[in-house]
Amino acid sequence: MPHLEVSDVRAKYGTLEVLKGISFSIKKGEIASLVGPSGSGKSTVLRALMGLTPITGGTVMIGNDRMNYSSAKEVRAARDRMAIVFQQYNLFQNMTVMKNLTLAPLKIKKWDSAEVMSEARRLLGLVGLSDRADAYPDQLSGGQQQRVALARALALKPQILLLDEVTSALDPELVNEVLDAIRKLANEGMTMIIVSHEMAFVREVADKVVFMDEGQIIEAGKPNDIFDNPQTDRARDFFSKILRH
Amino acid sequence: MNYGFQFGVVWDNIPELLEGAWLTLQLGCFAFAGGSLIGLIFAAIKTYGTWPLRFLVDCYVIFITNTPALIQIYFLYFGLPEVGIRWSNEACLLIGLTMNAGAYLTLILRAGFLSVRVTEIEASQTLGMSLIQQVRYIIVPHIAKSIYPALANFFIVVLVMGTSVGALIGVDELTGQAINLSTVNYRWLEYFTVVAGMYVVLTFIASIGLALLGRWAFRVKARIF
Repeated sequence: MPHLEVSDVRAKYGTLEVLKGISFSIKKGEIASLVGPSGSGKSTVLRALMGLTPITGGTVMIGNDRMNYSSAKEVRAARDRMAIVFQQYNLFQNMTVMKNLTLAPLKIKKWDSAEVMSEARRLLGLVGLSDRADAYPDQLSGGQQQRVALARALALKPQILLLDEVTSALDPELVNEVLDAIRKLANEGMTMIIVSHEMAFVREVADKVVFMDEGQIIEAGKPNDIFDNPQTDRARDFFSKILRH
Repeated sequence: MNYGFQFGVVWDNIPELLEGAWLTLQLGCFAFAGGSLIGLIFAAIKTYGTWPLRFLVDCYVIFITNTPALIQIYFLYFGLPEVGIRWSNEACLLIGLTMNAGAYLTLILRAGFLSVRVTEIEASQTLGMSLIQQVRYIIVPHIAKSIYPALANFFIVVLVMGTSVGALIGVDELTGQAINLSTVNYRWLEYFTVVAGMYVVLTFIASIGLALLGRWAFRVKARIF
């Protein structure tokens, strides 16, 4: 049984249809990767799942629950089950690293304080930032900020983690520290949807690759099949350009 | 010029002047706090509200910022009793100053609302925050930090310029107290020299307080000098 099932999801910005019926599913513990050219709608899929971009059609199922995106209140159900990490980290600049991690679990979920704190420390250890708990975001490098953002998303114990081009804004030498943290999560069995341009990384960690273009899924399958033996001209063209280097 | 300065009489009245200064500080703080609350709500309406509400806020801001504070306070003190609404002179001053500050603070805070990063709002939404939680944990702290200098300057304006209007409707704040005392013995020059100095000290104390508050609450590295 699929853990997440997206069926014929559509989204519009004004009159422009950016998602023209997206369908895919992932099982628990699987990692799916959305790849494709800029403007193909990869990030929009993640934003739509989190209720940041309104969905105009289709359904999203998590387990046996149908997600409802009709109002701010209903969207909570989806946001309870999924967490997103953004390209630009989007940390709260006026709070320390620790506060960034613990704000939502303590104030919104009202979980037990001692447990939240020890979980936050565990997550900072996981992303290799145990010693920066009291730093403010502007005192950290981009890679460190992104790892904090990763830990913040995990602090809410999501069932599914969405990563939206999390290394695209980083200097090349900082990319690996973030990828290493994601690898650890993959080994822990975290269910993830990764939008990325790091093709080698996608090939390494993903169970499934979904190739998108112009708001549609063109091809989907195992990483090696998609990368080495694409069936469509569009995918062949894209991968020949991007995999050459 | 053979004016003989006599600070002795002023010295005898220092307790009265300090009482006035204390009242000035209280009026300044209350008017600023009340004005901030009005400003916060109205700036939120101007940023997120529907057009009829935005229009009402615009009317209030335009009306208040384009008329002198003295006229507004005279309206409350001399105007309203004509229609049967009678407040004490202190109440009139405080309400007038609060409403006046509220309009200016609406404009200052609005600038703060516009500077809130969309990315942080989206992050807070995906973490499950309601609108009220976003305002409390993300928007207000951010605004406080970005407009802190404008806010601190305006507090000094309310404290010094705003409250002294009270002298004209018989409120015994620092200026009022100085006028009262100098009409008794005509040592205007001495009284107002001392009072001017007291205003400077008062502003200085307020600046230190604001700087400490800024550092403690909003991580603003405010300078006192």
